[in-house]
Amino acid sequence: MKRRVPLLILISLLVVFIGLLLAETLIIKVQSTNLRKNPKFYAPVVQALSAGERVEKISSQEGWVQVRTSSGATGWLHSSAVEVQKFSLLALDKSMKTQASASEVALAGKGFNKQVEESYRAKHGELSFAWVDKMLQIKIPGAQIEDFMKKGKLGEFGGGR
Amino acid sequence: MKSQVLRPPVFTALATLVFLASCSVVQQGAGVLAETGQISESDRQAIVKTSQAVRQTFADITEEEEYYIGRSVAALILARYPVYENDALTKYVNTVGQAVVFSSDRPETYAGYHFLILDTEEVNAMAAPGGFVFITKGLLKRCQNEEMLAAVLAHEIGHVCAKHGLQSIKKSRLIDAFRIIGTEAAQRYGSEELAQLTSIFEDVLGDIVEKLIERGYDRKFEHEADALAVKFAASTGYSPQGMTAFLETLVGDASAVSGKGWFKTHPTPESRLERVHKDIASLKRLPEAESVRTQRFKQSVGDLK
Repeated sequence: MKRRVPLLILISLLVVFIGLLLAETLIIKVQSTNLRKNPKFYAPVVQALSAGERVEKISSQEGWVQVRTSSGATGWLHSSAVEVQKFSLLALDKSMKTQASASEVALAGKGFNKQVEESYRAKHGELSFAWVDKMLQIKIPGAQIEDFMKKGKLGEFGGGR
Repeated sequence: MKSQVLRPPVFTALATLVFLASCSVVQQGAGVLAETGQISESDRQAIVKTSQAVRQTFADITEEEEYYIGRSVAALILARYPVYENDALTKYVNTVGQAVVFSSDRPETYAGYHFLILDTEEVNAMAAPGGFVFITKGLLKRCQNEEMLAAVLAHEIGHVCAKHGLQSIKKSRLIDAFRIIGTEAAQRYGSEELAQLTSIFEDVLGDIVEKLIERGYDRKFEHEADALAVKFAASTGYSPQGMTAFLETLVGDASAVSGKGWFKTHPTPESRLERVHKDIASLKRLPEAESVRTQRFKQSVGDLK
């Protein structure tokens, strides 16, 4: 057994090293989302995150990923809010920053964007976006949805998955 | 770690891991080489560029682009229908909708899901890309309980999850748009590119609105949305019978003859029912309707005129 100890240490180090190499950096692809304490939408919020911010994946479970933010906070995000970071795949990156680089912003913020909408609206002055903006303001707090589900015996409180 | 792990298969696995890791570091490596001056910045960009797929289809539309397309489609829908302004009812519909969204395949979109009631007797529901969901007062009156409302909202959420709106965009338009977007390096577009892109944007909206309001999606999309509705509603804890109960109200309906709203843009309720029964039969668990939900539905929707 004695002779195996250094080898075990070596392999352990190798596993840790490979783990670091494989650590996946994810980028937030939605305008804003919340890092949550548990893998459910009405779980307590750990931290708010916005588009372009990077997080490091720790594990995953049924549509949710457990991540660590650049400030060191850990929690859960739904996988539909993130995508695999395309530029630097390594979490070893010492400059792991919370703001996307200019090239990423250009890539993400281009295409059909605000500038195109403004140009389209200038051509169609009769079209109103007032209700579209009002609609976007309709937000039901997570606690209210949880209460609604609880009272209605939905989700984990009843016959849901 | 025990001594058994030292067997040959373990070494093979470790070697595989090392290989995989080396593949994933190509882009990072290019960055390091550029920083140390071993390759030029343009070389680095070329390496990074070739390691990314070129945008070609609807699936390459970014979340933010989908949001901007959805905003304008929503504005075009709202140009045709007035909004039914009732805060309590709108809140109720949004709460049911969000509960279903949580159990859907795609609960997070760029700006989330939002639900609005349209002030018309026409029986209709529509969803613009990104999660702008509309349900008419006429359709709400058809629903007799929360299960039916949840099923209809789940059908619309299904369209958003499966990106049926984006799939309605003609491929040639996307290829043109992606080319302009890909070659223009500046942060903001020049006037010529902007004019071209705006013109393509108009055509993109036209493609979606035509399917959404005028002609309806392909039948396979509607059946897919029905299947997703059954799945999402059941995952939320709603009885999937809400979907069949709703479709049954459409069978033999006189307004089907006039061919407005859902009657015009959706396959016949009979053909949808046939498939929905099969979708339900394949479910592992069948949640049942709860009287507490029907009670609160009647409180919220009951006095709708």
